[in-house]
Amino acid sequence: MAQIFPKWADEIPRRLLVGAIVFLTAIVAGVWYFFSPEYTDVGYAPQQPVDYSHKIHAGQLGLDCQYCHTEVFNSKQANVPPTQTCMNCHSQIDSQRPEEIQKIRDSWNSGEPIEWVRVHNLPDYAYFSHEAHVNVGVGCESCHGRVDKMDVVSQQEPLSMSWCLDCHRNPEQHLRPVEEVTTMGYQVENQVELGKKLIAKHNVHPPTYCQGCHY
Amino acid sequence: MSEDVTQLNGEGKKANYWKSLNQLAKNDEYKKFVDREFPEEATELTDKVSRRSFLRVMGASIALAGFASCRRPVQKILPYSNQPEEVIPGEPLYYASAMPFQDALTGIVVENHEGRPTKIEGNEMHPASSGSSSIFNQGAILNMYDPDRSRYVRRDGERSSYNEFLSFCKEHFSDTDRNIAFISEANSSPTYNRLRDQALDQFSNAQWVTYEPFGEDNALEGTNIAFGERLRTVNHFDQADVIVALDDDFLNPAANKNSVQDTRNYTQGRKVESPEDNMTRFYAIESTFSMTGSNADNRLRLKSSEIELFLYALAAELSGSVDGLTEFSGYSNKFTDHDWIGALAEDLLANQGSSVLTVGNEHAPSIHATVAALNQALGNAGNTVTYHEVPYLQDQYNKDAFESVVSDLQAGNIDTVVLVGTNPAFTAPADLNFSENLQNANTVIHLADYYDETSKLANWHINRAHFLEAWSDGYSFTGTRSIVQPQIEPLFSGISDIEFLNSIVTSEKTKGYDLVQETWNEFISGSFQSNWERILHDGLDEEATFPQASVDISSDFQASVSGFLNRASETSEMEVVIRPDSKLYDGRYANNGWLQELPDPMTKITWDNVALMSKATAEKLGIQQAGLGVAEVEKVSITIDGTTVEIPAWVQPGHADDSITITVGYGREGIGKVANQTGIDTYPLRKTGSMLYATDVSVENAGGAYEIACTQDHNSMEGRSLLRHATLQEYREEPEFASYESSYEAELPGESYAEEKGSDRPMTLFDSQDDEEYPDYEPQWGMTIDLNSCIGCGACTVACQAENNIPVVGKREVSNGREMHWIRNDRYFEGDVDDPQALHQPVPCMHCELAPCEQVCPVAATTHSDDGMNQMTYNRCIGTRYCANNCPYKVRRFNFFNYTKEYLTTGDDPEVVQMAMNPDVTVRFRGVMEKCTYCVQRVNKAKIEAKKETGSPKPEDGAVQTACQQACPAKAIEFGDLTDDNSKVVEAKSNERNYLLLEEVNTRPRTSYLAKLRNPNPKLA
Repeated sequence: MAQIFPKWADEIPRRLLVGAIVFLTAIVAGVWYFFSPEYTDVGYAPQQPVDYSHKIHAGQLGLDCQYCHTEVFNSKQANVPPTQTCMNCHSQIDSQRPEEIQKIRDSWNSGEPIEWVRVHNLPDYAYFSHEAHVNVGVGCESCHGRVDKMDVVSQQEPLSMSWCLDCHRNPEQHLRPVEEVTTMGYQVENQVELGKKLIAKHNVHPPTYCQGCHY
Repeated sequence: MSEDVTQLNGEGKKANYWKSLNQLAKNDEYKKFVDREFPEEATELTDKVSRRSFLRVMGASIALAGFASCRRPVQKILPYSNQPEEVIPGEPLYYASAMPFQDALTGIVVENHEGRPTKIEGNEMHPASSGSSSIFNQGAILNMYDPDRSRYVRRDGERSSYNEFLSFCKEHFSDTDRNIAFISEANSSPTYNRLRDQALDQFSNAQWVTYEPFGEDNALEGTNIAFGERLRTVNHFDQADVIVALDDDFLNPAANKNSVQDTRNYTQGRKVESPEDNMTRFYAIESTFSMTGSNADNRLRLKSSEIELFLYALAAELSGSVDGLTEFSGYSNKFTDHDWIGALAEDLLANQGSSVLTVGNEHAPSIHATVAALNQALGNAGNTVTYHEVPYLQDQYNKDAFESVVSDLQAGNIDTVVLVGTNPAFTAPADLNFSENLQNANTVIHLADYYDETSKLANWHINRAHFLEAWSDGYSFTGTRSIVQPQIEPLFSGISDIEFLNSIVTSEKTKGYDLVQETWNEFISGSFQSNWERILHDGLDEEATFPQASVDISSDFQASVSGFLNRASETSEMEVVIRPDSKLYDGRYANNGWLQELPDPMTKITWDNVALMSKATAEKLGIQQAGLGVAEVEKVSITIDGTTVEIPAWVQPGHADDSITITVGYGREGIGKVANQTGIDTYPLRKTGSMLYATDVSVENAGGAYEIACTQDHNSMEGRSLLRHATLQEYREEPEFASYESSYEAELPGESYAEEKGSDRPMTLFDSQDDEEYPDYEPQWGMTIDLNSCIGCGACTVACQAENNIPVVGKREVSNGREMHWIRNDRYFEGDVDDPQALHQPVPCMHCELAPCEQVCPVAATTHSDDGMNQMTYNRCIGTRYCANNCPYKVRRFNFFNYTKEYLTTGDDPEVVQMAMNPDVTVRFRGVMEKCTYCVQRVNKAKIEAKKETGSPKPEDGAVQTACQQACPAKAIEFGDLTDDNSKVVEAKSNERNYLLLEEVNTRPRTSYLAKLRNPNPKLA
């Protein structure tokens, strides 16, 4: 009896198998990568209502982060400054783009807040405290990146749970002296050694249990 | 199943504890309920009505500004334009204020998040609160955010404005000869009373009546008879060795406007640290089994109508031994030979000058007068009982004055009625026909929180500001003066009492702030501004008392005694006793979901009022099913003076026979989503002749089936020896009575095996652990609950609900066993069904070191934290409910539905209700388990603060208070770090009365109990 299937048909199951494996791997890898905060969130740089540039203020002018984000050592929120803070200077100083300054003055005169778009947005069930971090020497840039180089603020780190835990498990990689918290581009050669010293100094035991952050 | 457990454990020494009649009978109904983790049908929300009537009373799904893409929702950050001083975004601010309840202020401290009050705590500096609070204090926050509050001024039912009202006032009150009747709530505010005097000066034909449905007037009249002066009676329970309460539920905030302070004092006198300590002996004589009665060492159940006879018999017995009671000598009635009279008299005589006799506010003035005379004769007056002259308590504060105003109304002699806050159309004695007679007035003006029964009859309804929204002032019960400071602008532009009254007098709208300052100019000597700021900051001027009066029994009293004795007659008829409700008071809290859903301290009934009666009385009336836990119950029809009300019958073990107790405040219409059609309105039965009880009544079984949502059999731990208690005598003989060995007369399971293995801790089924007492990490949290202090009031439950954003689920859901309270208050009966003792036991999560729930969670959603807490991770939970099944303490609560979202996002104005939520706690979603967290948000905050300040994450002892601990007026709860040898919780745990719940299962709970003690009179055993 003649064969129903030609010889090359033997290849079909094998190819299907290989195809399926490749396909499934692609799906898993795709979800792994494209659905993770690393892909979805990093680089998020929404248009803000006022075209404020951190690059000019924090970078060129060298304002300390705390000039505006005053409560970072005292509160769980670093706080976005009230319009009042802008007016400290901009009641005197104009800009090359008067239309942007006008928005601030409008807000000041009307009392209406400026509606900034939130860039670093944690899930509601994650309770993050700025004061707990900066008071033991976690630098601003460790989470927010080189803000002093950003015209428009963008998210630099995934802020995912595994990313948080990377540091909570190995804090020595990221700690710096408290007085250097707001320094941009802080680097030391012996980071691990310094980190270990700081861990001992500040008695740092970052929680890795659930209720450290979720409650 | 419960029998098996008993066998397993050996017979407990005191095995006769029961929560319900079903449990006592061990019948099928009970077994069916208990054997299932959740009752039948518990997975379907079938009742459309209850779904609609979910409280939309608080709320909080976070407002999302929209979806910019499918990536994630965009949130906006709105900083202040001009940031107020002191405000740190993310950090709460605390302001002192005071909460008025009738004419007594309680000092409070209010937590504010960015200008939004979210939680009320007691003010530690204020004597009326000492840092504690009652269920009403805790519930007040929800009242403020109640979207059903009246939102605008109405004229003849049509929307109007306050400016129109002002122009009306200008015209109407320019005629100062009008016959005006002011009917007001009791109010201690000096500003208010200043304006009252101003009004009475200005309007020559005006009269002023203070009307409270459950006021203090009989007590004032009583001292008037006894001492010839209207004086306020203040009991000092902390200084007493013997307390005798006659039908006085003085620990209950609904029956005593100074309950927080009195509870504190009462428990102070009963704190026992070691067998050498003494404790107050407390006798309760009462008809209803009240919360206060459940705390008594000796309790006598007696009809309310016979309290008078009992008191006179006691006075007669004492008359031979002390001076001043000669008029009673020789008097006798059926109680003269009662066991109690002799025993009580003996104890009182042995403790002259250090005993307190007290009687319920609603009892007749003659009874109050006799009690005052007894206190005077026994030398208590001036020591344990003091009498004070209260400046603002006018003669008008009595029910006769109210009745005379109503008859003036009836006669058409009154042109204008101005009602401030009070709601007599709902609460006035029915035979006064208040609503009808009110129509005879030409103009009726009503200031009220809700567009309520009286408002609907009024020409002008003015929406009132909540006390958290307006300036005011006032006195505490004992005379400490405070300013009531607003926390937020009025949400619905309400008008405060003083602003309203000022508008009547001046036709102008003056700010409450200015009115209060004007009054306080007189009080403050020295620099006004600095003193004013100090008073605002502290929440009180200085601790002060009203001037104490030196009293002597007046000759009038002696003359009237024979009249009292003649009038007091024996009766064998059925009586019906009418009381304020433990949770809704006179009905003013009817629209508060937290209070509606709080199980009554004694009956554990939610969302309803019932007719309470003893088993014998129920049998007499042919009532079969009453009190059977989840069952539908029969109704009784009660007729007083031709008015009939049908109300569900409920057997209350320990109730006096031939007596039925009903509570008021339910069955309201047109008030709000929570109050409407909840329970039954019983005010129609309350007449001028039966303000407390009626004896000429007919009661019949009306049959029918009415479903009651009662939690007494929910979350049962099935007859294990959970409660340990002893008399003071037994404790002295055997201080270790609360230990497992002593309770079961058996060795703790696993102990000998542990010894064999050389371990000093019993072996367990669970992970082997080393012999370290605690893990390496410090702090380690733990809690103790002193059952000897706990009075069972439920303040912990409401405080927890407020702190932790716990949803209200509605009556149907409660009857399905799905109430969400993280700390429940179990009430057990012990002994004879007719005359049992009752005990209270609050049960939160035990935070077991070897938690059974953690072993069974398939997704590790419940695990242990480094600081020793059993943690619940909502975002991991997939809702298998295995943990709840495996929890021996039944403390886990499951979100069967999206309760939170349901009432946070529906209704007319969800944004108002969302503001009540605590931003520091996640709201939970459908399908998620939740339970007590030891207030981890407070713990974490304290740890961060401590770390910042001292470098160590160990907060000072007392720096973390859980919400339940902070609220507890009895200070029964201690919470703290177990690795800190000096902490209060460690001290409490080292007490020999300390015991663990279900120690034999070796879960090693972090929460432990201190066994209860009673100090009964051995002669009455």
